[in-house]
Amino acid sequence: MNTLITILFVVFAAFILASAIMTVTVKNIVHAALWLISSFFGVGALYLLMEAEFLGVAQVLIYVGAVSILILFAIMLTRDLEGSQNRQLTPRWWIALIVPAALFGLLIVPTVMTYAWQLPPPPAGQSPAISGAQQIGTAFMREYLLPFEVAAILLLVAMIGAIVIAFEERERRRRVLTLAEQVRLRRQQRQPAPLPEPAATAIQASEATGGES
Amino acid sequence: MTDILRSWIGGALPDWVIVLIAYLLVTTIVLFYAVGNFIMMVWAERRVVARMQDRLGPNRVGPAGLLQPIADAVKMFTKEDIVPRSADQWVHLLAPIVSLAPVAMMLAVIPWGRGWEPIDLNVALLYIVAVSAVSGVGLMMAGWGSNNKFALLGAMRAVAQLVSYEIPAVTALLTVVILAGGMSLLELPYMQAGVPLMGATILCGDAAGCSPSLYTTVTSFPGSPGEPVQALDLGLGWWVFTPVGLLGFIVFFIAALAEGERTPFDIPEADSEIVAGYMTEYSGMKFATFYIAQYILNFALSALAATAFLGGWQGPGVAALANMGGPWVHVAAALSAFYLLAKIWVLFFVMIWLRGAFPRLRVDQLMDFAWKLLLPLALVNIVSASLMVGLTQWTSAQWGGLLSLDGFAPWQRQLIAILVTAIINIAAAYWILSINQRPTQEEWIEEELVVAS
Repeated sequence: MNTLITILFVVFAAFILASAIMTVTVKNIVHAALWLISSFFGVGALYLLMEAEFLGVAQVLIYVGAVSILILFAIMLTRDLEGSQNRQLTPRWWIALIVPAALFGLLIVPTVMTYAWQLPPPPAGQSPAISGAQQIGTAFMREYLLPFEVAAILLLVAMIGAIVIAFEERERRRRVLTLAEQVRLRRQQRQPAPLPEPAATAIQASEATGGES
Repeated sequence: MTDILRSWIGGALPDWVIVLIAYLLVTTIVLFYAVGNFIMMVWAERRVVARMQDRLGPNRVGPAGLLQPIADAVKMFTKEDIVPRSADQWVHLLAPIVSLAPVAMMLAVIPWGRGWEPIDLNVALLYIVAVSAVSGVGLMMAGWGSNNKFALLGAMRAVAQLVSYEIPAVTALLTVVILAGGMSLLELPYMQAGVPLMGATILCGDAAGCSPSLYTTVTSFPGSPGEPVQALDLGLGWWVFTPVGLLGFIVFFIAALAEGERTPFDIPEADSEIVAGYMTEYSGMKFATFYIAQYILNFALSALAATAFLGGWQGPGVAALANMGGPWVHVAAALSAFYLLAKIWVLFFVMIWLRGAFPRLRVDQLMDFAWKLLLPLALVNIVSASLMVGLTQWTSAQWGGLLSLDGFAPWQRQLIAILVTAIINIAAAYWILSINQRPTQEEWIEEELVVAS
């Protein structure tokens, strides 16, 4: 069983890495987003392999179901971004290489140096505690109450900000009228016509004929 | 399945191969079950809608047109597969697969009968929500990969609808999580044993006098925790009969209609506006794959609604047969599977009925409906569900001394909880509906001025 898990781990890890490399090297930005999704899926599979079912499902729900859909939406609403003329490397690409590499090294080197790799196997006959909804709920409401509340406030602020932005935009925008409303509006415009200025009459007349033709 | 295979060929193969074969067999059975139902659903939809519109519907191929789906399948298989020259070949090819696969994965955790569940996942409800969200990626791929403005518009509409209706659906499912105290779908039908409205709260007076055909042993909801009790069980303690379950069911079913793109919400493929939405550039088997994905999604969502609120496979006689033991357990399983299938078909019939009865919504009506009506109702329902659990199960220590219901019998507590939640839910529903029906006069005048000036 252990070798099987190792094989599965290697397969998933290779899949994640390959997807991630494709994400950053592929020219088409929509393809990059799709490769990113497959990488997210691989991470979810790794969580499932570790029997962290809740985490694996939450990974799929949040990253694949929400984040990547948002990314795809953003890309598709800004169509100018895509195209093969995009440069992949800026002139100062080496700075962009050094900084993340140094940060990653700062994390990985102490971990590799100090971590006890040979974990003791779990005691036989005792099933490991599988994190269910109730344990997670209890943990959120007891031990991790403060981080939970802080995250909640952060998300709330972001949500209110999004609503405020959307409302400002909406004030400037006219609602799209249905056909019945357009007809009624046109009739209203045609009815009064109390001797307007010549220019305005011309515009209105052209609008009226444009509507009828 | 695994155990049966182990007993047959236990020594010959390594254990993991047996597990693999067992799950492959289960997967095949479940997929055939779903696809068989899909075929019948297409036929039923065409016939029933035709009946509602005073037509005949397909009636040439086979008796009453029953073989029409087979003729359609042959047509689909032999049709030319057209890919637009400007389309993105790979994305265009993968999109139907990406939209069908998550839908098929949803079927894995639904208990199809008593003891007939493919996988016992302890986060099954969350899993279904997560997996159904993935199909949005497939729709996006279809819309973008086709390189067609109608397809892209349809995909945008589809995903916007999917994302916004997921929220009321998940909030409605949260009431189930609260009532059940967990996210496993496996336990839900067992918890919905008993009699309508009261659930499994009418307990047996003396253990000797209770006939096993009427009483079953219940451990969790809503008797005393952990202690098994004998409760009157007609298999009808469905949550839809309680105020919390009824409101949750209505909200979830409407949201499921929108997620499955059924007719009042079929904006993404509104054929009179944007050809066929994201499916515009698909033909032959790829189109059929989208079609299958949509119907199996409806099937799975009906199964989920039935399991979460209508008792799943629970029905009169299942527990009594199972209590008889021996081979009768298998009869009970078959009967329970029949009950679930019957509930799914009733729900699907309601879907067809709505299609025959309602016109398509506009996009702004769609969003208003989700955010101003369904979501507040579902949020109120969460409060009601928490009160329901508190009133039926908590001891006075858990209430912190605020309220002591320890002296009451389970059925009395259930009655109190039902009264309280009914008052809350009816008041909230009345209030929210009356707010939504108030006309917005001022906005009208302002807009007309803007356009007129």
